[in-house]
Amino acid sequence: MTATLETPEPVEVAVPVRPKTFLRGKGLVGLVLVGLVIAAGLIGPLLVSWDPYEQIPGANLLGPSGTHLLGTDDLNRDILARLLAGIRVDLLIGFTAVPFGALLGCAIGALATVNNVLDVAVQRLFDVLLAFPQLILAIGLAAVIGPGTTSVVIVIVCVEVPIFGRLLRTAVLRVRESQFVTASEVIGAGKAHVLRHHVLPNSLEPALVQLALSLSVAVFIEGAMSVLGIGVSPPHPSIGAVLTTSLRYLDLNPLFAIGPLVVTAVLVLGFQLIAQATNAARGA
Amino acid sequence: MSTTDVLSVTGLRVAFGQVEAVRGIDFTVAEGEILALVGESGSGKSVTARAVLGLLPAGASVRGSARLGEQELVGAEEETLRQVRGQQVAMVFQEPATALNPVHTIGWQIAAVLRAHQQLSKADASREAVRLLELVGIPEPATRVRHYPHQLSGGQKQRVVIAIALANNPRLIIADEPTTALDVTVQAEILSLLRDLRDRLGTAILLITHNMGVVADLADRVAVMRQGELVEQAPVEDLFARPARAYTQELLAAVPRLGHRAPSAVPVADLALHLDQVVVHYKDFVAVDKVDLRIGQGEVVGLVGESGSGKSTIGKVAAGLLRTSSGSVTVLGTDPISARPRIGFIFQDPGGSLNPRMSIADCIGEPLRVHKAARGKQYRDRIADLLDSVRLPTSYTHRRPKELSGGQRQRVGIARALALNPALLIADEPTSALDVSVQAAVLELVTDLQQTLGFACLFISHDLAVVDNLAHRVTVLHQGRVVEEGPHHEVLRTPTAPYTRRLVAAIPIPDPIE
Repeated sequence: MTATLETPEPVEVAVPVRPKTFLRGKGLVGLVLVGLVIAAGLIGPLLVSWDPYEQIPGANLLGPSGTHLLGTDDLNRDILARLLAGIRVDLLIGFTAVPFGALLGCAIGALATVNNVLDVAVQRLFDVLLAFPQLILAIGLAAVIGPGTTSVVIVIVCVEVPIFGRLLRTAVLRVRESQFVTASEVIGAGKAHVLRHHVLPNSLEPALVQLALSLSVAVFIEGAMSVLGIGVSPPHPSIGAVLTTSLRYLDLNPLFAIGPLVVTAVLVLGFQLIAQATNAARGA
Repeated sequence: MSTTDVLSVTGLRVAFGQVEAVRGIDFTVAEGEILALVGESGSGKSVTARAVLGLLPAGASVRGSARLGEQELVGAEEETLRQVRGQQVAMVFQEPATALNPVHTIGWQIAAVLRAHQQLSKADASREAVRLLELVGIPEPATRVRHYPHQLSGGQKQRVVIAIALANNPRLIIADEPTTALDVTVQAEILSLLRDLRDRLGTAILLITHNMGVVADLADRVAVMRQGELVEQAPVEDLFARPARAYTQELLAAVPRLGHRAPSAVPVADLALHLDQVVVHYKDFVAVDKVDLRIGQGEVVGLVGESGSGKSTIGKVAAGLLRTSSGSVTVLGTDPISARPRIGFIFQDPGGSLNPRMSIADCIGEPLRVHKAARGKQYRDRIADLLDSVRLPTSYTHRRPKELSGGQRQRVGIARALALNPALLIADEPTSALDVSVQAAVLELVTDLQQTLGFACLFISHDLAVVDNLAHRVTVLHQGRVVEEGPHHEVLRTPTAPYTRRLVAAIPIPDPIE
């Protein structure tokens, strides 16, 4: 070459700054909302003097007052105590069932792409699972294994597995066509190496967004199953259980429903905002 | 401002937020003149053109003045600009395939542009469309008007785009890299069409390009841009003969030229790569048809051809990424897959071939880890050596690919390819995504490394001048077949096959006098 340019050429690349997604805007609001509910669930029961299972003599369907901030229910129990204990149950269900379903779904979705026949089989299985509306699936499963906390967890896992499986499969198929995957194949790397070092790390972003969305769906499923009478079984408290009880006495005291509704709304909104912020951060 | 100036730009500044993309430039385009705006990526040449037409995204702030005749375009009302676009100033884009709407016939698209600015009946508009297609040299224009874009070749599509640009007799055509997406023989046709149209219609052309050969071929005057500023402006002969500024001199020196390297060859003993009667099918399409190719140890063979000639397919076959339908491939005495630890591969797109989540050190060290060739201190030393050999500072080890420039990324790609001391290096268009000065530096690096390390190299490129500067022997491919093969100085300077002759003749020479 005739050219004698200085090498290497000067660095003029703007190093992209990681956006502070969770320090402002939607991300911050979402974190604060979810954080408030988690704090209420963790600390709340320690601050309320009533036991969620205790039947208080003479306190039947009382309205909100100084002693019972949200009133008492039909079995003379303090609603606030039950609600705070219920948050714990809901969070426990959400934070175990959703990540478990996500892991299972991601594993199945990613591994199925290795073999074409397996891929088709798994896809059709996902089709079947996705074809059921969530609640029909819930009723069906509850009919087989009976209502209770376990069946709520199983229903959530069953709902999440195909969602995450599909999501990861699509991402894997897209990333697998990238040139850096070919580059790795050229140097003689095996399938496992490529999957672990190149494909999976670049496919997990959408799953993270879905994780936040699915946590909000889990709250919904728990509530709906309680309303249908196949959720967390009495006398155990849950947000859905408290809501179900309050719905029956809506004409007597509409304020009964406010507690569980607000908690559900705040939790769902918080998770959705976190999901949106995570999604926005992916673009950067 | 003289009376014949079609466009005069003074003190134009464009800023995106804090970043100034164009920092106060002045130039004029006279009637019937072709002004070339040249510069490397990020120099602000496309932004300038878009600012003139008011086509910048909402976040951009434009100051200064751009006058079309007597009309001020900077800060003009959207309605005024809409009248100007298409009627007085037209634009030809880089990628003809995406500039045309795939669901309408080309006749419909030309007629739509005509009827947007003129009172014409449908019949008149379609008659005019036929005339325009004839003007831009489309054969059988009367039947072609009823064709859809996918029925045309890339060069024909670009002719249609030019016909649309000409529809309302604009005073100025802005052509933004009009031939970059085209093969060299098609590029030559489009350039001669543009020159011919200027001569016949007297339309002024603002040509935006990075290709000095195109500039020398077409332009009357040249304006060189760098980092948003105008470095130099001169008539094309003066600029090429006596570049006044250091940057222009560097830019011109970096342009690869045919026939500037002394003939060079190496004695061939053992074969590093041997393709024997190789055929590759993609379903019914024969991509590679009975190709023979031999590369000796320490020899650099250039594989040239236009798009679709099968040159990349051969690279993939040699690396064992594609199976042959028939014929045999021998790499370093064995099959390509067993030979992989001794093959290095450099990709065209340096960004896409590096995992965005890995650090530079991890990218370079991957072959060492996969083959467990080195660990611990030895591994870190090897990475430092590799970075050093591609002239990157060792402080870069923890950066991500995103934090490097295009040329630096390609250096990382080269370092990775060299990690296992390959006996055969396959380079698939390693410099075509890079700016010309960066390309020169990368090619120099590859040449140096080849001479010190002595690996054999299959160098795939569409750029004959690049290959001439690097290869010992050259193989020319056309539609999957080898048309000519031999020492680089013979094939590229005194070609015998008609196709090679056409190819060599079509290269725009970066010298306005030739």
